[in-house]
Amino acid sequence: MTEPLRVAHYLNQFFAGIGGEERAGVGVSTRPEPVGPGRALQAALGDAARIVGTVICGDNHVAEREEAAVAAIRRELEALRPAVLVAGPAFGSGRYGLACAAACRAAAALGIPAVTGMHPDNPAVEAHRAHVLIVPTAESATGMQAAVASLARFALRLARGEALGPAELEGYVAQGKRRVWDRGRPGYQRALDMLLDKLHGRPVVSEVPFHAPDRVTPAAPIADLGRATIAMVTTGGLVRKGNPDKQVAANATRYHRHSVKDLEALTPEGWEAYHAGYFNHIVNRNPNYILPLSFLRDLEGKGQIARVHEWMYALPGVSTPVAMARQLGHRIGEDLREARVDGVLLVAT
Amino acid sequence: MGIPVGMISAIYSFAMTTGANRVVRGARIEHVCGDPGLGPEKDYAYGMRIVRKALEALTVPVSGPTLFDPHEGPAEEAVHAS
Repeated sequence: MTEPLRVAHYLNQFFAGIGGEERAGVGVSTRPEPVGPGRALQAALGDAARIVGTVICGDNHVAEREEAAVAAIRRELEALRPAVLVAGPAFGSGRYGLACAAACRAAAALGIPAVTGMHPDNPAVEAHRAHVLIVPTAESATGMQAAVASLARFALRLARGEALGPAELEGYVAQGKRRVWDRGRPGYQRALDMLLDKLHGRPVVSEVPFHAPDRVTPAAPIADLGRATIAMVTTGGLVRKGNPDKQVAANATRYHRHSVKDLEALTPEGWEAYHAGYFNHIVNRNPNYILPLSFLRDLEGKGQIARVHEWMYALPGVSTPVAMARQLGHRIGEDLREARVDGVLLVAT
Repeated sequence: MGIPVGMISAIYSFAMTTGANRVVRGARIEHVCGDPGLGPEKDYAYGMRIVRKALEALTVPVSGPTLFDPHEGPAEEAVHAS
């Protein structure tokens, strides 16, 4: 009889039974047996595989000291020599999700395949799905049974060195990877089949993934512009002349905030555009084209708006992934709400 | 409770389909709020027209992506360049 496959399991302090938030700072340790959800995982793995160790770490420890935590997890994995690592499932918990992803990447660095499970809306999914194998789970631990069954299935295949097929068939979270894959029938036939299905009212599944954009509930209108504070935001990559803040020209990961308190208008001597997605020279001659300060000052002087908000926000919108744009937008929005701004003009190039 | 945003963009159809709620049609990608080809005074008046339309958009209730087009309707009073 062949030896059972060696499985390592990663858990946070809560699922390992150490404690809740108050113990979330606890460091990395290993127990030589299945712990907590690991017992259900062992049952799902059956005789083919054995959990040889459970690596445990507090979520805050990973969040606050990621490098040290990952190094420690890596040392534990080196000692356990597993054929596969299973992390979590983390369900909807953001910090636990990030910790599971970190554990999976520690395993990957050792050449150990790894799989974790979490809810598709877990923030760790967007951040790590490209590099980490994630199976979708329910939002909370009530979905433990199904999650563990799915993790066990993937763990066995990874431990045996089996290659996985496309996400849409295998059921893991799509990683955005493109691989050559023979669908068996040429594209024009599949396209015509789709068209026929559509004409006959049968269900059609596109081969081109479409991510429906978020729908945001419209904010209530401003009752009286004459009493309103108006802020300006631009995705046109507006920078101070010479770009002393070293803004990137594309693929923004942060925004820049500048005071316009003492300015009547943006001058070409003081400002310019640094943006890889359009011809910047026209804006460089008149930066008010992408941040309408001169116009708003004019209207402020006439009393048609109460005031121009002191701070303006700028970033280059080009090539910025939607998830990052959403994050930056949320942070700018929070800032503006705290400042009690009534309305925003956003110029997008 | 959100803050109303007037999104001024020359590629306003993208803004609409990606879910911006108050979309204001700008001039061109390279000069969203104005047009240097018009000469200084008309350029400023045109930019002002776009900005006024964006401010007006902030005062209008909307239920989903809505286009506010400063190119429609009668010309507003000329505003002199400052």
